[in-house]
Amino acid sequence: MKRAIQAAVMVLCMAGVAMAGTPPERWLHVSVIDKDSGETVRVNVPIAMAEKVLGTIHQGNLHEGKIKIDGRFDDDVDLRALLEAVRTAPDNEFVSVQGPHEDVSVAKMGGNLVIHVRENGKKGDKKDGEKKDDSRVEVTVPMKLVDALVANGSKDLDVAAALRVLGEMGDMTLVTVQEAEQSVRIWVDSKNKAE
Amino acid sequence: MIFGKFAMGLLGTAVVGAAMVSSEGFVNVRVHEKQPGGHNIHVIAPALLIPLSMRFAPQHSLDEATAQMKEWLPTIRAAMEGLRECADADFVEVTGPGEHVQVSKSGGAIVVDVDDEGETVHVSVPVRAMENAVEDLAERAPVESAQAADSQAEIQ
Repeated sequence: MKRAIQAAVMVLCMAGVAMAGTPPERWLHVSVIDKDSGETVRVNVPIAMAEKVLGTIHQGNLHEGKIKIDGRFDDDVDLRALLEAVRTAPDNEFVSVQGPHEDVSVAKMGGNLVIHVRENGKKGDKKDGEKKDDSRVEVTVPMKLVDALVANGSKDLDVAAALRVLGEMGDMTLVTVQEAEQSVRIWVDSKNKAE
Repeated sequence: MIFGKFAMGLLGTAVVGAAMVSSEGFVNVRVHEKQPGGHNIHVIAPALLIPLSMRFAPQHSLDEATAQMKEWLPTIRAAMEGLRECADADFVEVTGPGEHVQVSKSGGAIVVDVDDEGETVHVSVPVRAMENAVEDLAERAPVESAQAADSQAEIQ
């Protein structure tokens, strides 16, 4: 009896250790709020499931989780060399455009490619009779994600591999769009519900 | 004595039968029409009835469904596996003026809730039952469709 209890306790402890070692599930969240129509759309997808499903889709340029790059683009631009140059460059601001009504910046910071666009409502710029307000776009792409997209050695973008890397990274916001009428946010975390 | 054994046998059979019937869970459908005099429908049925009812459906009625499904069968299977393995969650939520739609997973079932000005609809189907229904449909696909699906799976 005593041995049976000891064995049961050992099994429970091992199960607990195994469960504690299991990494939490990672989720991709999309939130779109349309202030004009008063509509809110929230989508939450487990990244592991998205990766599995993506690998089975064969439509258009998407096959087995890889996107075939258009031949014309491939001829004019060596995407792999471009991304390699960005990857090996030190943290830097690559593009900066500042105008009276717009502010665009593309930079590499802390292992991420950060794209920032801000557009002011121009004077006299009207939308439906009202002055157009500012809009702001922030895109953060981890360089590890970029590496995963092109790591397969072929000319295709390996989106499935990029999703896998995304699932291994920490919580982060990938895209934020703020406009007067609409706001969009895409982020990754371990919660199974959008905030 | 004999009567007691007979009763025990009956009880055991009933328990086993109930366990079998409820082994795949239950499909729960609830519709409430909000207008005065609207209908209220509430159906709870064992999910086991889904494949059974499909057996009685005419093949020609299922041919169109299976033909459309064959191309997407690997994707559907991957999605079902993902749904089965993932934690309970709200997958899609749409909120607008006068309407609310939610698709979620709860307790091993996919739950769809729709609430608008006219009616409230709640549908809950166990994931395992959905998987079995998909596989049943795939098995009942016309021979040429099944072969094409297998060829496509091999290519993949």
